[in-house]
Amino acid sequence: MRPSASQSSPKSCDQTMRLAGPLTFAIAVFLSLASLAQSQEKPLLEIVNSFSDVRDFAQTEEIVAELGATGDPAVVPVLRALSEGDLHVRKSDNQVFIVSGRGKTLMIMDPLSGEMVGEEAKRALSKIRVNNGLRRLIRDTIGGLALASPDPAARLRAARTLIANPDASSLPAIEAALEKEADADVADGMMRARAAAILVSDRPDAEKSEAITAVAEIGTQDALSLLLGFRGQAEGDLREQVDRAIARVERVQSYWSMAQNVWYGLSLGSVLLLAAIGLAITFGVMGVINMAHGEMVMIGAYVTFVVQEVIRLNAPWLFDWSLAMALPLAFLVAGAVGYALERGVIRFLYGRPLETLLATWGVSLILQQAVRTIFGPTNREVGSPSWMSGAFEIGQLTITWNRLYIVLFALAVFALLLFVLNRTSFGLQMRAVTQNRRMAAAMGIRTPRVDAMTFALGSGVAGLAGVALSQIDNVSPNLGQGYIIDSFMVVVFGGVGNLWGTFVGALTLGIANKFLEPYAGAVLGKIFVLVFIILFIQKRPRGLFALKGRAAEA
Amino acid sequence: MVERADTILYLDGVSVAFDGFKAIRNLSFVLKRGEMRAIIGPNGAGKTTMMDIVTGKTRPDEGDVFFNGTVDLTRHDEADIATLGIGRKFQKPTVFESLTVEDNLSLALAAPRDVFSVLFARGSAKRAKRIDEILETIRLGHRRWHLAANLSHGQKQWLEIGMLLAQNPKLLLVDEPVAGMTDAETEETARLLREISATHSVVVVEHDMHFVRELDVKVTCLHEGSVLSEGSLDHVSSDQRVIEVYLGR
Amino acid sequence: MISGYLARNGLESRIIATIVLILAAGIAVPVSNLVLDPLHPLHVPTYIVALLGKYLTYALLALALDLVWGFCGILSLGHGAFFALGGYAMGMYLMRQIGTRGVYGDPVMPDFMVFLNWKELPWYWYGFDQFWFAIVMVALVPGVIAFVFGWFAFRSRVTGVYLSIITQAMTYALMLAFFRNDMGFGGNNGLTDFKDILGFDVQADTTRAGLFAASAAALAIGVIVTARITGSHFGKLMIASRDGESRARFLGYRPEMVKLFAFTVSAVMAGVAGALYVPQVGIINPGEFAPANSIEVVVWTAVGGRGTIIGPIIGALLVNGGKSWFTGVLPEYWLFALGGLFVFVTLFLPKGIVGTFQAHIGRGREKRKANRAEDAQTPSGAEVSPVGAE
Repeated sequence: MRPSASQSSPKSCDQTMRLAGPLTFAIAVFLSLASLAQSQEKPLLEIVNSFSDVRDFAQTEEIVAELGATGDPAVVPVLRALSEGDLHVRKSDNQVFIVSGRGKTLMIMDPLSGEMVGEEAKRALSKIRVNNGLRRLIRDTIGGLALASPDPAARLRAARTLIANPDASSLPAIEAALEKEADADVADGMMRARAAAILVSDRPDAEKSEAITAVAEIGTQDALSLLLGFRGQAEGDLREQVDRAIARVERVQSYWSMAQNVWYGLSLGSVLLLAAIGLAITFGVMGVINMAHGEMVMIGAYVTFVVQEVIRLNAPWLFDWSLAMALPLAFLVAGAVGYALERGVIRFLYGRPLETLLATWGVSLILQQAVRTIFGPTNREVGSPSWMSGAFEIGQLTITWNRLYIVLFALAVFALLLFVLNRTSFGLQMRAVTQNRRMAAAMGIRTPRVDAMTFALGSGVAGLAGVALSQIDNVSPNLGQGYIIDSFMVVVFGGVGNLWGTFVGALTLGIANKFLEPYAGAVLGKIFVLVFIILFIQKRPRGLFALKGRAAEA
Repeated sequence: MVERADTILYLDGVSVAFDGFKAIRNLSFVLKRGEMRAIIGPNGAGKTTMMDIVTGKTRPDEGDVFFNGTVDLTRHDEADIATLGIGRKFQKPTVFESLTVEDNLSLALAAPRDVFSVLFARGSAKRAKRIDEILETIRLGHRRWHLAANLSHGQKQWLEIGMLLAQNPKLLLVDEPVAGMTDAETEETARLLREISATHSVVVVEHDMHFVRELDVKVTCLHEGSVLSEGSLDHVSSDQRVIEVYLGR
Repeated sequence: MISGYLARNGLESRIIATIVLILAAGIAVPVSNLVLDPLHPLHVPTYIVALLGKYLTYALLALALDLVWGFCGILSLGHGAFFALGGYAMGMYLMRQIGTRGVYGDPVMPDFMVFLNWKELPWYWYGFDQFWFAIVMVALVPGVIAFVFGWFAFRSRVTGVYLSIITQAMTYALMLAFFRNDMGFGGNNGLTDFKDILGFDVQADTTRAGLFAASAAALAIGVIVTARITGSHFGKLMIASRDGESRARFLGYRPEMVKLFAFTVSAVMAGVAGALYVPQVGIINPGEFAPANSIEVVVWTAVGGRGTIIGPIIGALLVNGGKSWFTGVLPEYWLFALGGLFVFVTLFLPKGIVGTFQAHIGRGREKRKANRAEDAQTPSGAEVSPVGAE
């Protein structure tokens, strides 16, 4: 299901053509031979060589159009070289070549075959000059030519390029290609490209009316701007139709942008969930305010950094596995620090939450400074494995792999924690101690051990979060500080002592944040969310999923 | 049926539920002016919840709660209700531990309660005399300058009752006043409550049947949030249903 | 003379001694700086005057926090915000005093507004060219924000760590807001490059000496206000609301109003401290709203001893003195020391220096009343288990 990075890039045409180069090239050679053999028309080389007599840009345009009209993909390298200023005429024999290299002597290649011909002094060549108008024409011509490519994917991309840059002059090429097209998907794309081109052409209104409908179905931003452009010249019924079509595309657009916001929100929400879920255990389940929680996340991120460094130096081929190796280590290291923190400080402060808050804040300062001393105050480079880079598209939605993996990872961690809490004997002991410490102790549960392990678990989960966050955030000693307030907001908003509350809280706040951003900007949006939570806590001091009655006061 | 106007406390058809659990269901309870009533019942019968409703800590889902015949208590909060003249003693003794016995009583004394009155309040001979009287009543004169934290459990219970008296309420709600007391202290407390009931309306929640007998008042037995039986202690304790759910055979 | 007046108003001798000491310093330090020869052994250099003046404003801030934390049990993690708001109000006055001397020479608008191409002064900058208006705002803005915030928070019975967390969120939100250029408070850079205050050059020795004296006077007034509030019947009610909120409520009091009053008074004190701080350090920027700053104030108060009046002052002076020394000698170890201090104080010195000291030898007050010898404990804070939970 995972397409390569290049396919997903929105800048498609240039890039894809470049990648498709060798193939196109081989075909070009074959086709050029074939067309020479038929040879009722002017041979390609002759047209190419006619560049040597051009006096002005208008003549160049004519030749480009002539090359485009051949419908032969072989001319694509010629056109591209022309556009990039690499097409030169040899003054001695008026032959046209593609050149490469720098300096006084250039390599010259046959424009159609691409075979190396030899070297030539720069003085002996003259460049065929182009302007921006020509470059546009060349681009569109190449787009039209690709419609004839034997690769259906290339044809589809060409059609899409034409939708984005419609041109009336490419209509015949599109229609010709459409006639031959066998692949239904590609044909569909071509229909749309044709419709887009019709809108900017001088075809009769009836055709344009059909085209409006077809373009409206595309539903993208490109389609919208095309329709908006057409609206200016539309009259009467056509005007009404185009207005309806615009409204429709705008609606589709708003759905997609909403979907995009939801995705960004889920993505942010999953980050919040990861950062907060460890806190939900230490604060929610144990009632301990751990201000050093953010530093546990930071430790997880630095463990990832160290793992990657070791791999880089000793076993570079394992790099793609670095995160998988960092996960258990980060859990153990952060968990061990948490265990030490509970045994060394927090256990003396149970029942005094405000003191716990202060002491753990002190610990967070110490941890930050320790990391700063060991690793330096600047950001550390943590790389992404290849399977996490790139993106793919669903409809008009662009989804990057690293974000998707973080969402999935957050869900997995959440599910795992639910399992540990609800389905294991440790979880049972933990809940027992939470609900009635004395009774649990009386039943033989070693409460101090449960406390320490619970705290270690919460800290370890923070370490896991650190591994994930190292992929999207700067790994610096201040990493944890950026998450601590947000994490508290999530836990408090969701309701203390309830993992599901944290889950819903994190996703709600993430999505709310992303929906506010387009209207208010990132900072103001965040301020609104904070103010909202401050007000919300006043309304429901125990959060979204609060216990009521006697249990709440116990 | 008693007229509402003659009652100090009037609950009719009161229900309250916590997360679906009906703590109080269709409870009706009437206390006449100057009456002392003992409430008994097994754990979870709704005794404390009933007190929460009367003192404004919990809002009933439905039903009427009237104080002094006319005041709708569901419309007031705790502080209002306390000022109206309902004093409450908690199950667990709650006094201000880091203040002295005298300061505890001084804060409880009837006086304007708003921030600025308190800020500019001055001690007076009248207040000092009233505190002396209460200390006498609750037998804590010798501990006047001690921090409340250093009192014994029984002494804290009495201090809390003393604070109730200082409030000069019309109605006292007393939740398990003798829990954790020695027999001698229990008898002393019974005597204290009888003394108080001469001038106040009182509701006492208690498990200790011996103590309830000492009080010698009408008894209401609650079960699952409503009244199971009501009458003299002998009547209630011979009721088959009461024996079944509470007293045991 | 002063002490006689204070004693008649029912203040304890220890408090009176503190006030006299503060006022004495408020006179002695400036005099030494201005009158004595720079080579004289008792001469206080100007930079030390500025540094000590800054500490005095910190001490006032710590005292303000102590009023709510030590006596009402409200651990505010947002007092740095009130301090900064007071500071900004003063900074706005100082900005408008610059007049045409700014880089762009605009007679009305501060440089940063000209730089941002603003056409006119935002409405909320009106009036700040008047000193009296700025002083009113120094008290009013933190006071009103604290009142509104507290009104919602305390009435909804948000208590304990929840309250701490939302006060932290408050200062965090304000920090983000003040970082925005659009807010009109100089964004990232804040307000700086001040020229003069009430016509005196802010850089001049005499002005610095005057600001030091003003800080000492403000601290002395802060001590008197705090002592009067906590020593009154209301002070007992504050402790009662702290230790037994629901008991107080069933006695007919409104603990939320008690807290609201203390919180508002405290915010005003913090605002005044901030207003005195800004001209002495010459800058105010959104970094002052950073949650870490507010938490640091908590540790000053904790070190000195919360629930006492002298404690937070001593704590602020000690910790900041230590900070200045550390950052001069071992800069990279300061955070270790500060972090360690947090842990040490909470674990081993929960009553702070003054509280511990009082617990051991300060029983004078008790001895005056009969029969109290066995009570060694003094009120020590919020760790007394909350009551009223059934």
